[in-house]
Amino acid sequence: MFESFLHTPFMQDVVTLAKPALFNLYFAVVSIPLGFPIAILFALGKGSRNKLISLFSRGYIYAFRGSPLFIQFFMFYSIMLALNRPLWKPMGVDDFVLHPLFLGPLVLILNTCAYTAEIFYGALKSTPKGEVEAARAMGMSSWNVFRKVTWPNMLRLAWPAYTNEVVFLFHATAIVYFTLPVIDEQKDLMNKAGELFEKDYNIFLHFSIAGLYFLLISMFLFWAAGLVQNHLNRHITGNRRLSFRLFPGFSK
Amino acid sequence: MLESIITWLTAWLGEDMGASLAYITNGKHLAWYASVRFTLIAAFGSAFFAVIFGLLGAALKQSIFLPFRWIGTLYTTMVRGIPDLLFILFFPLAFEHGVEFFLAHSKCSAEVMATATGWPPCAEAQWLLSTGDYLLMACISLGIVYGAFAANVIHGAMLAVPKGQLEAASAYGFSAKQVFWKFKVRQMWVYALPGLSNVWILLLKATSFLSLLQIADIVQWAARLGGANYIARVGLVHPDWRWKYYLVLFIFFILLTMISERFFEALQARASRGMSLAGVSNDV
Repeated sequence: MFESFLHTPFMQDVVTLAKPALFNLYFAVVSIPLGFPIAILFALGKGSRNKLISLFSRGYIYAFRGSPLFIQFFMFYSIMLALNRPLWKPMGVDDFVLHPLFLGPLVLILNTCAYTAEIFYGALKSTPKGEVEAARAMGMSSWNVFRKVTWPNMLRLAWPAYTNEVVFLFHATAIVYFTLPVIDEQKDLMNKAGELFEKDYNIFLHFSIAGLYFLLISMFLFWAAGLVQNHLNRHITGNRRLSFRLFPGFSK
Repeated sequence: MLESIITWLTAWLGEDMGASLAYITNGKHLAWYASVRFTLIAAFGSAFFAVIFGLLGAALKQSIFLPFRWIGTLYTTMVRGIPDLLFILFFPLAFEHGVEFFLAHSKCSAEVMATATGWPPCAEAQWLLSTGDYLLMACISLGIVYGAFAANVIHGAMLAVPKGQLEAASAYGFSAKQVFWKFKVRQMWVYALPGLSNVWILLLKATSFLSLLQIADIVQWAARLGGANYIARVGLVHPDWRWKYYLVLFIFFILLTMISERFFEALQARASRGMSLAGVSNDV
């Protein structure tokens, strides 16, 4: 019974697509933590009083939010091709800078930096003024004001929007292998699903399971981000998580 | 007339600049510029479908009938969990495949159906699509995906319409249907505009995927024109110039975004005349 279940086309696809899913995860897992600190710098840069830094950050954020990631991938790949690449061979890998496992996260980081910076800039703007003034009045240094007041507020306010950005970045990893060369068996979900489709033309099965993988990982990301959200808001009493109660307020 | 313009331009720009100008206005480049029409048609076409699907989705989400509400919620949460690219590739392929499936069952003989290994099983079942057909399918699939985003925006905007307005309308004796269409939907647009502007920009950026749907759009042309150009008679015309062409596209999309933002700002200013809109949220 169980054996035959394992051999259904559905389960076979689930098994075949497990390894490609790791490639999507790899791109997301590498670019999210690396993009985050750079994005914070850009957010602070956009809010900076220095005109030059502010202008540069604004321009960067606008350019990368205003153009499709699809074009950005093509552009950076062709720029890397045009640069004289044989001169630089880190770790002894041929065409290291053109390798999707290097270039993919690089472009994703550049892209997510802009989106994340915009989110955190918005949060920076809406940090309560009174709290900052109170901290200053207490004689905190400007670094301490940032660390103890601005930063926690910024993180808390931006978190829901940042969660969305993380999930959309994970979705954007589907684009990587449409624009960069596929090397050997290094294929992601979309790629492998397309390959399976070309073998037996069963579009509904293969694409649904690829979609299912994306859905499950996205749900996991939302769940994990929700835990962080609760942690960030732990001091706010009025913002308790909703729970199901049979007789709300009955005992009062 | 045309000749004199060319000689005048060459005299003014000099030999080198004149040659560059001639190069970027040759037939292939003109075809590239003309292919912008696919991007624009797809953007406007899918915006049309997105608004329709958005209204439908929002209506489903606030239906009184529970299963409809489930369908509406399923539709709008779908895009949060699955990449847009997957849908954009899946819908046209699935539709084409479905049509060919029916064609195969009606046109191919039983023996052929049983023995064929490829798809379609016989030549008669092949459904050949023109660029226009692909464009329509691209519009519909982009419309379905971004319609879900629009549904979220419209749903939120409908809830933002002040209750007093609707109560006043029903107090004046308008029927429930009239209250919905003449007051809720009419006023909803002002609250929905900032969100819809975001959806439009997302959609505009998604039109860069057209080349994946067999359409020779600007991205496809950029790759063709930019590749190393070697003609046996002339020699190497230019090496790999793709980065230049992609850079142009990069700037082109930024300009499109800029224009859209200005347009929506003007529209918002016009639509919100005489309304006090303090707490309109900007997020999708």
